[in-house]
Amino acid sequence: MQNETALRPKQTPKRLLSKGVRDHLVAYSFIAPNFIGFAIFTLVPMFFAFVLAFVKWDGANPMEFIGFDNFARLIKDTTFHKALWNTIVYTVGVVPFTMAVALALAILLNQQIIARNFMRTVFFFPYVASLVAVAAVWNFIFSPTMGPVNNILHLITGVPIEELPRWAADKQWAMFTVILFTVWKNMGYYMVIYLAGLQGINPELYEAAELDGANAWRRFRNVTVPQLAPTTFFVLMILIINSFKVYDIFINLFAGADNQLNDSTRVMVYQIYNTAFRSLDYGYASAMAIVLFLLVLGITIVQFRGEKKYGQ
Amino acid sequence: MNMKKVAGLTFAAVLTMSSLAGCGGNNNNAADNAATAAPAAASNASASSEPSQEPVTLKWALWDWEATAYYKPLIEAYQKAHPNVTIEFVDLGSTDYMTMLSTQLSGGADLDVLTIKDIPGYSNLVKQNHLEPLKGYMGDNSIDPALYGGTVEQIEVDGEVYALPFRSDFWVVYYNKDLFDKAGVEYPSNDMTIAQYDELARKLTSGSGAEKVYGAHYHTWRSAVQLFGILDGKNTVVDGNYDFLKPTYEQILKEQEDGIVMDYATLKTSSTHYSGVFYNNSVAMMNMGSWFIATQIEKVKSGESQATNWGIVKYPHPEGVEAGTTLGTITSLAVNQKSEHKEAALEFMKFVTGEEGAGVIASTGTIPAIKNDAVISSIASIEGFPADENSKAALTTVKTYLEMPMHEKSADIELILNEAHDNIMTKNVTIDEGIKDMNTRVGQLLGN
Repeated sequence: MQNETALRPKQTPKRLLSKGVRDHLVAYSFIAPNFIGFAIFTLVPMFFAFVLAFVKWDGANPMEFIGFDNFARLIKDTTFHKALWNTIVYTVGVVPFTMAVALALAILLNQQIIARNFMRTVFFFPYVASLVAVAAVWNFIFSPTMGPVNNILHLITGVPIEELPRWAADKQWAMFTVILFTVWKNMGYYMVIYLAGLQGINPELYEAAELDGANAWRRFRNVTVPQLAPTTFFVLMILIINSFKVYDIFINLFAGADNQLNDSTRVMVYQIYNTAFRSLDYGYASAMAIVLFLLVLGITIVQFRGEKKYGQ
Repeated sequence: MNMKKVAGLTFAAVLTMSSLAGCGGNNNNAADNAATAAPAAASNASASSEPSQEPVTLKWALWDWEATAYYKPLIEAYQKAHPNVTIEFVDLGSTDYMTMLSTQLSGGADLDVLTIKDIPGYSNLVKQNHLEPLKGYMGDNSIDPALYGGTVEQIEVDGEVYALPFRSDFWVVYYNKDLFDKAGVEYPSNDMTIAQYDELARKLTSGSGAEKVYGAHYHTWRSAVQLFGILDGKNTVVDGNYDFLKPTYEQILKEQEDGIVMDYATLKTSSTHYSGVFYNNSVAMMNMGSWFIATQIEKVKSGESQATNWGIVKYPHPEGVEAGTTLGTITSLAVNQKSEHKEAALEFMKFVTGEEGAGVIASTGTIPAIKNDAVISSIASIEGFPADENSKAALTTVKTYLEMPMHEKSADIELILNEAHDNIMTKNVTIDEGIKDMNTRVGQLLGN
């Protein structure tokens, strides 16, 4: 007894940290390189942006604290409302459309068909193709007077070219054109995610369903859909976030020599960029960015709740 | 589970916040650049007191280095006379150049000499206190603002000047002599009203499909169409009332409907460059800035331009306004207020914007800001410049209105005008709706 108590104090000073703490430190040291980069280039600017939303600042002259004035301005700013509305319309168009097309493609290309890998590559190609290049091609195809789309429509319907939709140049059709473009451009990526999801489904489930006499639709409805729920949730979340953040697609499809978007195609990130870097109103732009952030955060929280309820 | 939820939310937050991070990101980069470059600059800092012989490296912010003929000759000419000075260029690209420049400067980039591309951008830089005031320097070095034909006065802000022009472009009409000959129409003259221009354009339109010749061509810039309306000097585009633009838009939309000019929407969606349609003989006349002279000469030489037989005449003007009244745009040089080598930078600016610089610029076929007889003769004698007398005479102007006048809010006004212009030209709104939109929105902006 006495020996034991005498020995113990000699041993503990050797180990300054317990095993648990040391394990944590090892883990953190592996995370550190990535985290430091993230902290400096993302986290700090993020907090800085929050601060900016409450000041008036043109990037050079001293900042002026103005409280919630920037947010009060947002409530009355019709240009911003329009940008917000356009972004929502775009998201509502893109998200379900992309999910449906991507899932359909994934199911088709999960069957034993000829040249399956080739077809998968074909549908994935738009995603890897350069946006600038494919946007230029789309603009040519959908050109109001010279483009093949309107010329073919003219031949089929006999409607004069001047009366056909002018697509990207048309206030009414611009949003439709960009939604179509986005779905086409990104469907391949989500198709691959769905394919991975489909291959993760246990084939025994289908066998069991078949034995129970389920037809193809019932098997899809009662096996594929529930089994794919986590994948669907992931796709939905990424799609919504990406749609709210959209900028490059609009600029490439619509902006001319002056790099400007008009009323029917102005989206939130463009408005933020314009306010910050063209009008030099960094504070106001940050307030807009925070609204965007809160919107997406809100949607994501709702989705997480839904995921918990229906997901598993 | 709880941890997972938190992690997921953080992930989502990070994804969404990248748009926010963009704001700070650029600044960080610029600050980084400045930080790494600072030690190098510090060794030269002492040079400012005794600028003559110490080696100095100046950084010159500009755009389109490759495509611009005069940057290199200017630098070479200056370095020859000042062997201790090295001039490095920083090409910020032509799209959104002024936005890039302002962002770089706000981040503390160590640029010394700044090229100023347009007035709205200049106005922003002045507001941000990035530019060195020049009145004192001009007084000390007896630089006479009168040399610049009234443009320096037009960019004064509260009695102070922050940039000096080195290029002063103005709008002319380019025409294709072969297409005029084919149509049996006499060449345009140096005194042409806007109505006569319209009439001429209608006479020259012919053919269809690939053979179609358009009488005139308006590029998709607002300035190519809207600013016919300001040539009578009665209105400006920063007053807040745009009713005066109605006849101009009516005329041009009519031309578009009648197939006299190409469709704006098509041009915009296909990103058609104005030079292409002139090169391939599909337009008989085109209103464009004098910057196109040098390009056209060069492309005729290289064979890229098939419009080899061409000429220029003065800009069409409203009834009762003197011929030679036109639109103009200036390109200026300024000095970064925080430059480590202010003396050397000012010296270089003086050279480029002065008579020596004007000579170098004119020798490349570009119109310098100082436009004396020698400069005009020099441009007209460049090989490839149209040989007729009218083309040479077209190089003189009587009155030049800046495309965008100096105004505290010109950057914001320009955004609104561009948008309304786009809506009118694509026929997404009627002319009246477009004008009403400009009146209301600019009105709100000026009222604030």
